Amino acid sequence: MKILEIENLHAEVGGNEILKGLDLSVGAGEVHAIMGPNGAGKSTLSKVLAGAEDYVVTGGTIRYQGNDIAELSAEQRAAHGIFMGFQYPVEIPGVSNMMFLKAAVNAQRKERGEKELEAADFLAWVRHRVKQMKMDPAMLSRGVNQGFSGGEKKRNEILQMLVLEPKLMVLDETDSGLDIDALKIVSDGINTMRSPERATILVTHYQRLLDYVQPDFVHVLAGGRIVKSGGPELARELEEKGYGWLQQAA
Amino acid sequence: MTQKIMHAGDGIHASYGEAFAAFAGSLPAAEHAARAAAFDEFIQHGFPDDAIERWHYTNLSTLPKQAVRLAAAAALDTAPWQLGDCDEFIWINGEPQGAATDAAGLPAPDAHAGLAGLHRAFARPGLQLALGAGEQRERPVHALTISTAAEAGEMTHLAHRISLARGAKVTVILQNVGTDGAARFITQSLAADLADGAQLTLIRLQDESRATTQWLQTDVNVGRDARFELINVDFGGKLIRNDWRVKLLAPGAQTELAGLFGSDARAHLDNQYEIDHVAAHGTSRQFFRGLGFGNSKTVLNGRVVVQRGAQKTDSEQSIANLMLAKGAEIDAKPELEIYADDVKCAHGATCGQLDDTAVFYLRTRGVPEATARALLTYSFANDVIARIAHAGLRERIARRITAALGAELDLDALSFEDETVDATGDAL
Repeated sequence: MKILEIENLHAEVGGNEILKGLDLSVGAGEVHAIMGPNGAGKSTLSKVLAGAEDYVVTGGTIRYQGNDIAELSAEQRAAHGIFMGFQYPVEIPGVSNMMFLKAAVNAQRKERGEKELEAADFLAWVRHRVKQMKMDPAMLSRGVNQGFSGGEKKRNEILQMLVLEPKLMVLDETDSGLDIDALKIVSDGINTMRSPERATILVTHYQRLLDYVQPDFVHVLAGGRIVKSGGPELARELEEKGYGWLQQAA
Repeated sequence: MTQKIMHAGDGIHASYGEAFAAFAGSLPAAEHAARAAAFDEFIQHGFPDDAIERWHYTNLSTLPKQAVRLAAAAALDTAPWQLGDCDEFIWINGEPQGAATDAAGLPAPDAHAGLAGLHRAFARPGLQLALGAGEQRERPVHALTISTAAEAGEMTHLAHRISLARGAKVTVILQNVGTDGAARFITQSLAADLADGAQLTLIRLQDESRATTQWLQTDVNVGRDARFELINVDFGGKLIRNDWRVKLLAPGAQTELAGLFGSDARAHLDNQYEIDHVAAHGTSRQFFRGLGFGNSKTVLNGRVVVQRGAQKTDSEQSIANLMLAKGAEIDAKPELEIYADDVKCAHGATCGQLDDTAVFYLRTRGVPEATARALLTYSFANDVIARIAHAGLRERIARRITAALGAELDLDALSFEDETVDATGDAL
C-alpha cells in the first residue's frame, strides 16, 4: 500500500512558486531521502505536507493513505499520523515538555475519537522514550526547548515522534547541527520507528545521516521538482560530485 | 481656569458633601480638622482631568456626578478568594472582617491634590503591618479587599501601611476583587517604608468587577541596601488607575518591578510606574508584559528619574506587549530623566503578535489552533507569573488567564511544581 502519493504538485509562498510539478510515491515500510541544493524546495515540501497555511498549493494532489489531504488542517494531519520534524524547533518557555506532550497526544486522540490516556500510563510511556533518547528525565518539567542546545532540540523532536507514533515521518534537516554522538542517538530513534506500516521521508543536505539511517530510495530535488531518483548509491554520488551537474541536467 | 475649578467644585460638593458629613460624624473628634482640611483640598482641586500630563490617558473628571455614599457593610462567602498558607486579612467594602486595626495616621499619597484629598478625607485603615528589626516572616501576609455594590454610586476608601524595620523581611499579597453589581468607586493607598536591609515583596492581583472604577497609589521608600520587589497583575475593572512611586533613598537600595496586565473586555487600565533614584549605587529593574484583549485600552508609563547625586545608578526596563485582538490598544511609554553623568540606564519596548511559526509548530503536533494560541499566550505571561513563589496564587493567575483566552488548557498538566516527574526518571 502507498502511504503517500504526490502528483504534479505546485506550491507557492508569498507569490513565489517553489514547487513546480513534483511527483513522489512512498510505500509502506519505506525510507526515502530527499536531497538537493539550497533553495530547491526541500523545506517547502516538508511544510506543505505538514499543512502550513502560508504555503499555498496551486496545483496537483497529495494523497495520504489513499485520501486527498488538501482540506485537512495541520492538527488534523497530525492526528491522522503525519509528523514533521522541524529544522529549527521552537522554544516555548513556561510550558513544560510534559504538558506539551500530553496536550499533543490527548488532542490527537480526541480528534480520532479515542479516550484520553491515564496519567500514570502516559508518564511511564514518555519516560521510557526519554531514556531511549538518552535525555535527562528532568527535561520533562522544563519549558519546551527552553535553553536547549541545537542537538538537544533535535533529540526532542525525535522524542516527540516516538511518543506520538506517527505513520508518516517527514524530518526536515533533522541531522543539521548535530555532533556525531547526537547524530547516532537521533538515527537510532528514527530506526526504531521503521516498521512495515510506517514510512519516513528524510529531507537532508548531507549524506552523513544516511550512513546511520539506510534509505530505500534517494531523490534529488532541484528547481521544485524531483530530477533524479535512485538507491542509496545515489547519495554517495551526490556527496562526491555535488549538485552542479544535476542542476545543469535539469 | 479658576472658574472651571469653582464649577467642578460646586458639582463635587453637591455629590460628596453629604457622604463626607455622615462619615465625619462617625470619626473621633481628634481627626475632624485634618479630615475636613483634606475634604476642602478635594473640593478645591476636584478630580484630575486629561489636561494634566500624568492623567493624559485617564480622565477621572468624567466620574458620575450623582450623589455618592460610602458602601455599606456586606456579608459574603470569602472562601473562593482565600489562598491558604498565608496570614489572611479581609475587608469587605472597607469593613474589616475580624478585629479592626488602628492606623498610625492619615494617608498622604504623593498624588494629584484633589484625589489625594478625597482619599485622605474618607480613608479607613486597611492593612497595618509593622515588622521589628530582623523580623523575617516565612508566611506571606494576604490582604484581601472585596467590593460589592447593590446600588450605583457606592464608594470605598482604604489605606494600607507597611513598615519594615532594619533587616525585616516579608511577602505581602494585596488582592483587590469585587462581585458583579452596580457601578462603584474605590480608592486605596499603600505606604511602605523599608529601613536599611529590609526586604518587601509585594504581589498585587487586581480582579475587580466590570463595574468598578479604582485608583490605587503605592508609595515606597527604600532604605540603604533594602529591596522592594513588586509583581503586579491587573485583569479586571472598568476603569483602573494604578500609581506606583518607588524612591531609592540610600546607597545600595534596589527595586524590581514586574507587571502583567490584560483586560478581557471593554476596560481601561492605566499603570504609572515611577522609580526615583535619589541616592548613588541604586539598582532598578522593570519588567512588564501586556496582553491586549478585546476592546481594552491599556496605558503603561515606566518612568525612571536619576537625581544629580545618584551616580552609579544601574537601571533597566523591558516592556513587551502581545496584541491578541484587533480592537485592543496599548500605549506603552518608557521615560528616562537623568541628571547624573555616571549611570547605566537601558530600556526596550516591543509590541507584537504571536509567532506564526510557533503556532504552526504546536499544530503540527496535533494541538488545535485555539489551544496553541492559548498555550503561547500563557508562555508569554509566564515570564511574570513565574516570579511568584506562592504556588496556589500562581495557579490561580494561570487559570484566570486561560479563562480570559477562552481556550481549554489542561492546567493540571502544566506542572506548577511538577510532582509527577522526579529527577531520577524512575516510572511511578
